Amino acid sequence: MTTAALHPGFRPAKYLAVARTALRQALAERAAIVGRMAFYFVILLIFSQLWYVVGEMGALGELGATEFLWYLALTEWVMLSLTPVHLDIEADVRSGEIAYRLSRPISYLGGRLAEAAGDCALRAVTLGIWGFAMAYLLAGSLPKDPSGLLLALPLGVLALWLGLVSMAAIGVTAFWLQDCSPVYLVWQKAAFILGGLMLPLEIYPDWLRQVADWTPFSAFMYGVGRMSFGFDPVLAGEVALRLVGWSLLTTLLLVWMYRRALRGLEVNGG
Amino acid sequence: MSHAIEVRGLRKTYRVRERREGFGGAVRDLFRAPKRELVAVDDLSFAIAPGERVAFVGPNGAGKSTTIKILSGILHPSAGDAAVLGLCPWRDARQIAFRIGTVFGQRSQLWIHLPAADSFDLLARIYEIDPATYQRRRGEFVEAFGLGPLLKQPVRQLSLGQRMRCELVASLLHAPEILFLDEPTIGLDVTAKAVIRDLIREQSRREGRTLLFTSHDTGDMESVCDRVIVIHRGRILLDRPVAELRRSYIGRKRITLHSVAESVDLKLPGVEVIERRPHCTEVDVDLKQSSVERVVQEVLRLTRINDLAIEDPPMDQIVQAIYADAESTPAPEALAP
Repeated sequence: MTTAALHPGFRPAKYLAVARTALRQALAERAAIVGRMAFYFVILLIFSQLWYVVGEMGALGELGATEFLWYLALTEWVMLSLTPVHLDIEADVRSGEIAYRLSRPISYLGGRLAEAAGDCALRAVTLGIWGFAMAYLLAGSLPKDPSGLLLALPLGVLALWLGLVSMAAIGVTAFWLQDCSPVYLVWQKAAFILGGLMLPLEIYPDWLRQVADWTPFSAFMYGVGRMSFGFDPVLAGEVALRLVGWSLLTTLLLVWMYRRALRGLEVNGG
Repeated sequence: MSHAIEVRGLRKTYRVRERREGFGGAVRDLFRAPKRELVAVDDLSFAIAPGERVAFVGPNGAGKSTTIKILSGILHPSAGDAAVLGLCPWRDARQIAFRIGTVFGQRSQLWIHLPAADSFDLLARIYEIDPATYQRRRGEFVEAFGLGPLLKQPVRQLSLGQRMRCELVASLLHAPEILFLDEPTIGLDVTAKAVIRDLIREQSRREGRTLLFTSHDTGDMESVCDRVIVIHRGRILLDRPVAELRRSYIGRKRITLHSVAESVDLKLPGVEVIERRPHCTEVDVDLKQSSVERVVQEVLRLTRINDLAIEDPPMDQIVQAIYADAESTPAPEALAP
């Protein structure tokens, strides 16, 4: 991220302090943590049953139901760990709270992203440990080549950053639309389908896979989930590059949108 | 720098969409909704000296909050000029941010699930307060605002009055030279309001802080401020010392009586019955003719009372009276201080 775009006189310590405070606030919301863990477990339980039935029919090709379940555990880990920062931005715009936040000596956007990152860090750690344990429990074993899971961790962190800046950009549309949920729904469904949330892209028809590869979504979820199929540092490097590239592009888009939004800002709420 | 705040010919307009009536209108609006220009602030000019406590009052939609948002660097004006501590708010927003504080009664800068102490620590980082100064100021405020027992409680468990005390401390930690207060007593009960007003006034006096205070409550204005600027439809209607406004326009009280007798027939000079319901009478009292004490004595002579509320006249009524005066006064400058 171009630090100058966040705020002139950018001081990382401020943003780290915001992220730490957000992490503490997230730790205080125990019910939300438990709710996310329960949802994650239900998804894994349902799909583990489905993959084993489909696997017995021989429909999963060379890959087994175990790898499919670990794949799903990784893609869901990315998706569920994302903090819905777009909703926070939308709420600030709609309620007029943004007026309060803009009058402080910290970038509004940088502060919101730091908060989301702090919250997301807690989600990623709790859901990571929980997802690993549940996937192991439901699959009965690790994937055939479990060393790939180690590569999934750094890729997951890059994917989460891409997810957060994408969602922040969606949130900024609230400056014009007031309600950013239609934009989010399109993004989310595109991420589910083109990112291969439930199924790896190997199963997709060629044309659809090619379309997916031109979008950030294939690296965002499939790129991380694919590591459950084995240790492939070349592929992991390629996914990492694509994640960094898409993150930079999305961040530039976000900063451009935010500057335009500020220029036409009309604060709600008197 | 002779003024803490100086505003010259400030104007802010918004373009708002107008919705047409009916289903057909809603469908047509999907493609092209007519827009209208709304004037929120219109040719506003005033100056505030350092350390002055100014009430900025007016009915809803008068342009108070828009002005504060322009002065705190959040909004750009459509025309005109302003200087806050010698700086242009919308061009030097970052420098100004360190030197001003804001308290918005309907918003919060505290983290709801964490103790207020955590929010104070974070704000110290954000405002780049050196640790020793922060600890000293925090200690002083905790004592002055009586926050000791509240400091470790999650903010969501605090009452509105307790939370507002914490909000004030959060806004004062970095020793702002100007404090913008936007309805800080809204929703508070009488006791909490009095506490908040005392704290704001005392802190301002002690540190020589300039206040620009918006409120619908005339009590806020009387208790805290020296001067009042009344705006209506984005324009200044009156700019005078509070004492003078009190003499001219706040010389009335509204008393609501819940009596044991079904009705109370008050026959006192300057007392006018506004509403009468069984066991409840609402009267307007002209204090020049009858004091509150005199009215209460007369009521107690006539009947026993279950409850009694004494209120200032609503701000809308005061503005109406000022507006009526302004309409009948040929030269607008007659209302200037």
